[in-house]
Amino acid sequence: MMEGTCPLALLAAGTEAKVTDVRAGRGMQARLLGMGFCPDARVTVQCADRGSIIVSVGDARYALSRGIAMKIFVGIAKGSA
Amino acid sequence: MTREIRIALTGNPNVGKTTLFNALTGSRQHVGNWPGVTVEKKTGKVSRNGCEFEVVDLPGTYSLTAYSADEVIARDFILDEKPDVVVQVVDATNLERNLYLTTQLAELRTPLVIALNMADMAEAQGNPIDYRKLSGFLEIPIVRTVGTRGEGLQDLLDAAVKEAKTSPHHEHTIGYGNEAEEMIAKLTDPLSADRTLSGKYPLRWLAVKLLEGDENVLAKVRGGAASARVQSILSSINSDEYEATMADKRYEAIAAILPQVHRTNTRGTTFSDMVDRVVTNRYLGIPIFLALMWGAFELTFTVATPFMTVIDTLTVWLAEFAVASIEPAWLGSLIGDGIISGVGAVLIFLPNILILFLILALLEDSGYLARAAFIMDRPLYALGLPGKAFIPMLIGFGCNVPAIMATRSIESEKDRLISILVNPFMSCSARLPVYVLFAGAFFGAHAGGVMFFLYVLGIAVAIASAKLFRSTILPGEVSPFVMEMPPYRLPTAMTSLMHMWSRGSMYLRKAGTIILLGAMLVWALASFPYGVEYGSAESFAGMLGHLVEPLVAPLGFDWKVAVALIFGFLAKEVVVGSLGVLYGAGEESLTDALFADPSLSAATALALMVFVLLYMPCVAALGVIKKETGSWKWTGFAVAYGIVVAWVLAFVVGHLAPFFIGGA
Amino acid sequence: MSNGIKILFGAVLGVLYAACGLLQVVQAIFGTMESLEALFIPGNIFSGSVLLVIGTVFLTGVRKLSIGTEEGMPFIYVGILFSVGIGLVELLALCALGADAYLVGEWADWSAADAVNPLLYLAVIGVLGLLAWGKEFFRGARAA
Ligand SMILES: Nc1nc2c(ncn2[C@@H]2O[C@H](COP(=O)(O)OP(=O)(O)OP(=O)(O)O)[C@@H](O)[C@H]2O)c(=O)[nH]1
Ligand SMILES: [Mg+2]
Repeated sequence: MMEGTCPLALLAAGTEAKVTDVRAGRGMQARLLGMGFCPDARVTVQCADRGSIIVSVGDARYALSRGIAMKIFVGIAKGSA
Repeated sequence: MTREIRIALTGNPNVGKTTLFNALTGSRQHVGNWPGVTVEKKTGKVSRNGCEFEVVDLPGTYSLTAYSADEVIARDFILDEKPDVVVQVVDATNLERNLYLTTQLAELRTPLVIALNMADMAEAQGNPIDYRKLSGFLEIPIVRTVGTRGEGLQDLLDAAVKEAKTSPHHEHTIGYGNEAEEMIAKLTDPLSADRTLSGKYPLRWLAVKLLEGDENVLAKVRGGAASARVQSILSSINSDEYEATMADKRYEAIAAILPQVHRTNTRGTTFSDMVDRVVTNRYLGIPIFLALMWGAFELTFTVATPFMTVIDTLTVWLAEFAVASIEPAWLGSLIGDGIISGVGAVLIFLPNILILFLILALLEDSGYLARAAFIMDRPLYALGLPGKAFIPMLIGFGCNVPAIMATRSIESEKDRLISILVNPFMSCSARLPVYVLFAGAFFGAHAGGVMFFLYVLGIAVAIASAKLFRSTILPGEVSPFVMEMPPYRLPTAMTSLMHMWSRGSMYLRKAGTIILLGAMLVWALASFPYGVEYGSAESFAGMLGHLVEPLVAPLGFDWKVAVALIFGFLAKEVVVGSLGVLYGAGEESLTDALFADPSLSAATALALMVFVLLYMPCVAALGVIKKETGSWKWTGFAVAYGIVVAWVLAFVVGHLAPFFIGGA
Repeated sequence: MSNGIKILFGAVLGVLYAACGLLQVVQAIFGTMESLEALFIPGNIFSGSVLLVIGTVFLTGVRKLSIGTEEGMPFIYVGILFSVGIGLVELLALCALGADAYLVGEWADWSAADAVNPLLYLAVIGVLGLLAWGKEFFRGARAA
């Protein structure tokens, strides 16, 4: 079950989570969906110690600035991993 | 076959489209291990088994809804130019995301073939793909390829021929769920009334795109027969919601297939992740980057010295020989003083330039370039640019022309414009000869430090200008930074050397054309009117120089420098070439001749280097600035701004330097 | 077990790099000291800073490993790569300077000792590390 959602930007490095919602606005939304940030996708924060973060989706790694990472909402998966 | 088959290569960024294109057509388009290398469409031809093919390489894109300028090019080509076959190049190590684009292409109903590229990597990772089975599921022909080794090319062309002949094509539909399907049906109805549109694109695809809120399709519908009804339907819905749910359905459909064709468990922490922990570390990231730059600097300037010595000795000897032995004397002078001294003065720097390009190739091929952008995101953001803008800046160290083109992958127009305008301040390889020459002549042991200062000054001026533009003429929010970090790859010696050569040979070609021309022109100006002493104040060159001299006299430059600066506008190497011509051939090299000239001091030399670094983009760079901004106003602005900044900084440096150098 | 060796290796190399780096920077600012020149540690702010960066990479790894997180391992590996890579650059530079001196006829005045610096000889230790653990590290690279 989900334990509530929060923006991707707030996760610590090494956390795995499931995307629940992407609200990035025209254009960027399509880009993010094309990159694999769609509802239910599993993401893992690889590196979160500067302004931007590196997130893995499947076998791809993306750098996201904090602004965008605030617009991707995730739920931390519990028991389903 | 009589007809030529037109194949478009499309796919996600960095999947190996250009690598395949080069292998297919024998071209040498630029390849690199970071997303956004290709920013224009490129065409090439092949003929195999009596079949003619025109192959088009396109920029990478994550979806058919374009966001940045390079993506627009890719989308427009697929939609409007209607290639006979679209080959989607797919990264076999990242199937899920790549197939998302496939679902969109399939909806377009274009004849489609998949090139399952990087198959070698997938196999090395112990995750081979049963591509025949996958092909069966998708009902799309799939060919296994390895672009870097040229495997699967023949099969790919065969599949393309076959696909081009089988028409019309059936539709691979993904069901989007009741609610969305209902809307799609509602939209298809009025759309079929728009004959021009429905003749060109599949109705279902149009409806899906409209539901997703695609601006481009919306614009196509607007003003057509279906416009009013479509808009009234769309006004009642929230397309963001639909976009997300439909994407979800596409991924669901993909997820249903994937477990049957390969092992789908994603790998945990990889080698690349481990390296990234270190090189993107909060405290160490930037220091590591700077240390690597220092290594690059050391290689470019120190390792090249013996090679330069050889070329230098050779040109001096040749020029002298030509002047002394070729009859009539004027011809000897043209060849010796003009051509050999002018072009030779520039050729000396070929070793530096080859090493510089080799380093840039390693930077691009290893995958570190994308990390550099990531590391610099924060500092750049504070100054008003997204981290992505750092990539064109680094490419600018090679040449500003491709660097300015590379800004196409920057999403926001304003960010892109700022990046274009500041790029000429990044010290390109053409300016390097000027530094090596003057720093070598006047700063001896401190030459390295002086050159380092110039490179840093270029970056500083670029960044300060970005900040200035952002807070005055181009205000706005910095666009968010989203960029794929490709896995690190060990660059092979072969590919890196080839990249080095394909760019280095451009320098040679330049030496043989524009620099040669510039040298001959300056020689002619220095020799005429007939009877004047070569290179004297009475020659045309002297007159021209004296005409401009008052403008640069406050900076301490004399007429010879003024002439060199004028012709440096053609290409910055010509500055050195012209000086080579004006100082003529003697037994001493240009370095010694400059050092001996009483009108040049260390301070003037420094001011001159600063001026050359900043003063104006060369003709080629101006051309791209015009092309990319589409405006003479901004192009003119770039020139005027550059000259003003260069003049002011050269003035300041020239007048402050004596206090530091101790009047040397 | 093998972690213990890596921590020791990283610590030794880290301290050496950092110390040499510090000495180079200090000398560049306050003037050279003869006793250090005998140890081939010239005053140079640039290469001194590079030494400091490499040292810090090693020491960061050691710190992380000693508090028990595996996260430190990549720092040791990357530190080794860094050390060997920059060492190679220095070696090339040394050869180039020698060759140039020979070409312009100043071979007699030239001495390799003037160009030797810690970036060069500390890399020898780095090479040992690369020989010992390089395979282990690059196994990941080939598959990635
Ligand atoms: N191992 C392996 N590497 C490949 C293969 N094809 C391409 N590469 C590497 O993948 C990287 C990207 O190649 P490009 O051809 O520039 O990719 P692209 O799709 O044109 O990229 P963009 O123009 O940025 O969209 C390069 O470093 C290539 O050497 C392949 O089949 N196997
Ligand atoms: Mg490409």
